[in-house]
Amino acid sequence: MKPILRAVGLTKVYGSDGVSTPALRGVDLEVLPGEFTAIVGPSGSGKSTLLHILGCLDKPSSGETYLGERRTDQLDPVSSARLRLQEIGFVFQAYNLIPVLSALENAAFVLELRGVPKKVREEKAMQALEALGIADLAHRRPNQLSGGQQQRVAVARALAAEPQVILADEPTANLDSQSGLSLIELMKRLNVERGMTFLFSTHDPRLLEHVTRIVRLEDGRVVSDERVNAA
Amino acid sequence: MWALAWRNVWRHKARSIVTAGAVAVVVIFTLVFFSFTQATKTGMMEVLTNDFGHLQVKSARAKDAQDFDASLLRGAAELEAALLEELPGVRMARVLEVPALVSGETRSRGVLVIGLKQDPTLRERFELEYLAAGRLPSPGSLDEIALGEALARTLHLDIGDPVYVFAPGTEGWGASAYVLVGILKFPQASYEGKVAYLSLEGAQELAAPGAVTRFEVHLGAGRGVPREEEIHRVKERLTSVLGAGVSVETWREASPDLAAILDLMDPAMVVFSFFIFVLAGLLVVNTIYLGLVERIREFGVMIAVGADRWRVMRMIFAESLVLVLAGSAVGLAVSGVCIAWMSRGVAFPGLDEALAEFGLPAVLYPSVTLQQVAITMAFTIATALLAALWPAWVAGRLQPVEAMRHVA
Ligand SMILES: Nc1ncnc2c1ncn2[C@@H]1O[C@H](COP(=O)(O)OP(=O)(O)O)[C@@H](O)[C@H]1O
Ligand SMILES: [Mg+2]
Repeated sequence: MKPILRAVGLTKVYGSDGVSTPALRGVDLEVLPGEFTAIVGPSGSGKSTLLHILGCLDKPSSGETYLGERRTDQLDPVSSARLRLQEIGFVFQAYNLIPVLSALENAAFVLELRGVPKKVREEKAMQALEALGIADLAHRRPNQLSGGQQQRVAVARALAAEPQVILADEPTANLDSQSGLSLIELMKRLNVERGMTFLFSTHDPRLLEHVTRIVRLEDGRVVSDERVNAA
Repeated sequence: MWALAWRNVWRHKARSIVTAGAVAVVVIFTLVFFSFTQATKTGMMEVLTNDFGHLQVKSARAKDAQDFDASLLRGAAELEAALLEELPGVRMARVLEVPALVSGETRSRGVLVIGLKQDPTLRERFELEYLAAGRLPSPGSLDEIALGEALARTLHLDIGDPVYVFAPGTEGWGASAYVLVGILKFPQASYEGKVAYLSLEGAQELAAPGAVTRFEVHLGAGRGVPREEEIHRVKERLTSVLGAGVSVETWREASPDLAAILDLMDPAMVVFSFFIFVLAGLLVVNTIYLGLVERIREFGVMIAVGADRWRVMRMIFAESLVLVLAGSAVGLAVSGVCIAWMSRGVAFPGLDEALAEFGLPAVLYPSVTLQQVAITMAFTIATALLAALWPAWVAGRLQPVEAMRHVA
């Protein structure tokens, strides 16, 4: 099977004020379609950096990244924005949503950026909210939702856009363990039922029951990469 | 996109209301000022043309030569007939101006003696506006005179007193005696001190039989100003009909200084409103920029999920347009109501004399032209776009990762 995401010899050095911090020191990784992968590792090990570079949000200092066949580490800002818009879903740790938009409008936001007509995009967004079990909250604004509900809206936004892969950077970090677990379970269901590919980072070991693969980062290097719970 | 911009703009109600309010005030100021310059322009032009007509028919030699003889249009009756044939029913004043010496029993003064024959409506208006006491010399009368009040005072003359006029070296009698029948009051004191009015026939008998200095042609009827183009068309027609030796001048040509002032009023207003728009624009820049920096993270997320630089910049422009257009809509509505209300006439009690001194009527009728509204709207839209330029540039350069890490 051909990988959806591929990183080859990825390094990233943050340099500011003359201090250079190596965040990635040569990472190779392939993500196959349909995988449900967790990146784990202590804080500061480079999980976010890796996800940002794979998601074309940031550029590596050296190395190559690919989305499918397409090389993505040297795109200009407008092309990489287009690529993210069309092919990649994102869920961040917090502040995912636009406060002045309702849950439904937030879930439809990526489709709106793509220029999908209102009727169609709201239909798809509604289906995504239903899939995440929050259709009844469609008309609430983010500040009327709990943290877990907000993260579900963020997943729904990614889902509604039907990307090739959804990248999630510590999506459960700000949630209590119960809502964190149920968010991961929902993601897993989408992975199983629809074959959505997920790559997310976490440092909560309890969430790892559901994953098919665990990539362990330490100090900017992959120290282990194991396939588990083979579906 | 517009809905998103609208909601974002009203996130900070107080700040946005102040800014939109400032735009509204600027729009109101601009339009109300425009309406008053418009009223002033038409008012001044009306005052001027009420007195001197829209067109003046003069001797072609009058301009270069200063002497009395050169200023005369001879064969006035034939010219008048030709004029009326070309413009049937037009209202006219025939004027013969004679420099002369006017004496009472004890004193004398060099003045301009004006022989005047006006069509009835013009005569009525003249009487209403300028007659302070007595009456005007009767049409055709050879022995009645009216004096400016200041002149009558200088000469120690009262109604009923005899007045002697000397115009030596002319083709008429050159000297004659009259009875003072009326006192005239003019807004310009200097003018009032040096004019005397006769009937046209009286002045012709005194100085120039069968001649006039000019015909004053009044186009249109009642209030309302004939359009420049129409005045010009009539001028062309009269010029070709009346032939050489006669010059036809529009009121602009006859009063170039005033015409120049009127022409400067609109550009001056445009410059003035440009500056107040700049001030409002700075407020808009501030509001839009603050709205951006408070929401850097939000912009980071939008960029992360695929909004490109142009989309982000468009969002900023949309917010600026929404803010400014909301303000200017309010401004348009308010000034529309104000101007509609004022257009029925605005008087300034107690200031009539001061206004008259500047050649303004006592009642102004403010109004705006479509062009002035268009200029104002163009200014508001330009303000919105220019004010958004810098914030949009900043937003367009945001990097998603950095923006999402931003701590406000
Ligand atoms: N923008 C940045 N500037 C400088 N150093 C950074 C920046 N982002 C991350 N780092 C550093 O890079 C390393 C990896 O960070 P990160 O990828 O955020 O790790 P994780 O997500 O696993 O906690 C850390 O040492 C962090 O301090
Ligand atoms: Mg992190």
